[in-house]
Amino acid sequence: MRGTELPRIVAALKGPIDTFVRDARVRVALLIDRSGQVVAQHGFTSSYEVMNVASLAAAAHATSHALADVTSVGGWSHLHHAGTRQELFLATLTTPTAPLILVAIFDSESSLGLVQLFFGQLAVRVAALPELQRVSASADQHSFERDLEAGIARAFAPDSRSGA
Amino acid sequence: MSDAYREVLSRLSRVPGVRGALIALADAGVPVAEELQPDVSGEAVAALAAALFRRTALAARSGDLGALETVHLEAEGGHVHVAGAGELIVVALIADDTQIGRARLELVRAARAVREAAETAAP
Repeated sequence: MRGTELPRIVAALKGPIDTFVRDARVRVALLIDRSGQVVAQHGFTSSYEVMNVASLAAAAHATSHALADVTSVGGWSHLHHAGTRQELFLATLTTPTAPLILVAIFDSESSLGLVQLFFGQLAVRVAALPELQRVSASADQHSFERDLEAGIARAFAPDSRSGA
Repeated sequence: MSDAYREVLSRLSRVPGVRGALIALADAGVPVAEELQPDVSGEAVAALAAALFRRTALAARSGDLGALETVHLEAEGGHVHVAGAGELIVVALIADDTQIGRARLELVRAARAVREAAETAAP
C-alpha cells in the first residue's frame, strides 16, 4: 500500500477491528499486509512487539502458502496454534486492493470457533470498505516497485544530487 | 467414534420438535458432528453455544452451584438446549411449540451417550 493511502486505510479499518476484538474477545489483534506493514492493531503495549509480531506473521503467512503449494493442498484458510495458555489465529482477508493478514491472540475468554465466526464477519466488513474498493494504480506489488524505483531514480538524478 | 456421534444426533433429531442438533468441542467451540437444517450454520451455533456454556459454567461455579449440566436458552422462535458431555457439548435447536421436557430428557441422554463414546475412544 502506498504511503499516502495508508492513513485513510488505517482510519477505515479501526472500526471493524475494534468490533472484531470486542465480539471475538481476543486479547490482541494485528492487521498487516503481505510485506508486514501494519494497518491496524489492538492490544499491543509497545511498537517493538508490533513490529516483531508483524514480521513473524508475514513470514508465517508466506511459509504457509509455500507449504500449501508444495503439498498441493491448494489455498489455506487459517493457521491456528493452540498454546497452553494462549492461542494464535492467523488468516488472510481478501480485499480488492491487496490481501491483508490478521493475527489474533486469545485465551480462555474466547475460542477458536468464536474467532473463526467473527473473523468471517470482519472479512465481510473489510471487503465492503469504500477505502479498499478502488484498485489504486500504486497498490499492487509491481506498481509499488515501479514507484519505488522511480523515486530512487529521482533521488539519485544529477539534479537532485546537486540540490537543484 | 464419529459413527457413535452421528447415531446420537440422528436419534436426537428424530425427537418431535427438535429442528437440529450438533456436537462440538466445549473449549474450542468447533463442531465435531452436526445434523442441522441447511440454512443453519453449524460453525456459528457451535461457537456461540460453547461460549454460552463456558460462561454459564463459570457463573455456576462462582455461585457455588457445582458443575454445569445443561443450559436452556428460550428465544422468540424456539429454544436452544446445551448439555455438557465432558470435553464436548451437545446442542439441540428446538421449535417453540414443543414438549420441552421430552426434548430435554433426550438431550441429557444424548450427552451421556456422547460422553461414554468419547471415554471409550480415549487412549
